[in-house]
Amino acid sequence: MARRRKVAAPKGRDDDVRLMAALVTFGVTSMILMAVMLLAPVVKVGPSEGELAPDFSAQAYSGGEWGDFRLSDLFNKSWTPGGDGDWIVVQYIDTDCPYCWSEGEMMSQLHSQWNQKVTFVTIVVELGIQGHDSSREEVEAFRDKTPYDGCITNSNCADRPGNPHSWTYIDDLNAKTSGDWELPGTPFAALLQPDGIVAWNPQQSGNHPEGEEMEGALLRLVGGS
Amino acid sequence: MALDTPLMVFIAGLVIASVLALQARSKNGEDGTKAMIHSGLAFSVIGLMSSGWTYAIHNSLLDSGESSMCASEGLVQCGSVIGDPEWNNLFGVPWGITGLLSFSLLFFLFLSLRMDMHAKWAESFTSYSLLAGLAGLPFVAFLIFVELTQVEGAPHICPFCTVAHLSLIGFLAAAYALRGRKQSGMWA
Repeated sequence: MARRRKVAAPKGRDDDVRLMAALVTFGVTSMILMAVMLLAPVVKVGPSEGELAPDFSAQAYSGGEWGDFRLSDLFNKSWTPGGDGDWIVVQYIDTDCPYCWSEGEMMSQLHSQWNQKVTFVTIVVELGIQGHDSSREEVEAFRDKTPYDGCITNSNCADRPGNPHSWTYIDDLNAKTSGDWELPGTPFAALLQPDGIVAWNPQQSGNHPEGEEMEGALLRLVGGS
Repeated sequence: MALDTPLMVFIAGLVIASVLALQARSKNGEDGTKAMIHSGLAFSVIGLMSSGWTYAIHNSLLDSGESSMCASEGLVQCGSVIGDPEWNNLFGVPWGITGLLSFSLLFFLFLSLRMDMHAKWAESFTSYSLLAGLAGLPFVAFLIFVELTQVEGAPHICPFCTVAHLSLIGFLAAAYALRGRKQSGMWA
């Protein structure tokens, strides 16, 4: 009697090919990444010295109406050390922070001394502290030194030390930029080269002459005002 | 924007992958399954390459503020899309890197299937491929929305981003067809 033979379904290979597939995938991806690196090397972005300052776009106030602002629009990518170009001071404040309030005077002095060589930008954040509620009206009043109750919680912004500030203030009350800038608190100010590379960050005091503050950094890096 | 060489290569790749998929549909058994896997592999390779290209554009825009790899003005351009600091990353990771990692996973799934179509895990890998492709769709929809409405000077269309989006959609179609073949007994 003839026996019927059952047709077997095709079986898989004895060895597990997934490891080999993973290695091939890793190889292909690595080759593409290497080609990318050759075409356009990775640019380190961050607030540390030597890194490209984190870019952002936000609404800005320079007196009058609020308008679009993008930090990288200030960068001069063809700048070379010793060449022409405006350095950039990026300052973070909270209009309800007492130290930022006092620093208003120093910033006025620095600006009057350095504004021919340095562009000042102040970014206003709202720290998550009770009573630190801010608004665009408060930002405008802080900058312009105009009457408005609410700076440093319940003071009149017109009483801020220093002169009215003539440079650009940025609305970052929703804290969109502070993460990229690893904001340690306010006030905080960093100095950027004209090409956008961070030249001085007060958090890296080990890189600077002892006790150096923004004015010293400006003198050392930008030169005489 | 003129059709530059890399863009033409990517478009040619998409056409070839699509032709492979169409041919696979008319073939029965193992030959058709293999052709469909080849199509998915081709889509994932184009996705990998276009993601890498967008990452290179990202780096060159950061470095010099402009890129010779893609136009920076007009409706069809990359400058306002890949160069927009608010939208050009996912939690700080450039979209090009996200694309590279995602297409690597898709490539791995299909390559495993191609290397052993009859393995015990082939059915689950077919499902994983479909699910992974589907998981990418919301991101594609979000990025198209961003291009058309959110970036500076919108609307804009980033051609290399569009190639990556089309690669994902093509891969998804191949994964869907493969699962259909598996479920209907047309696998081999």
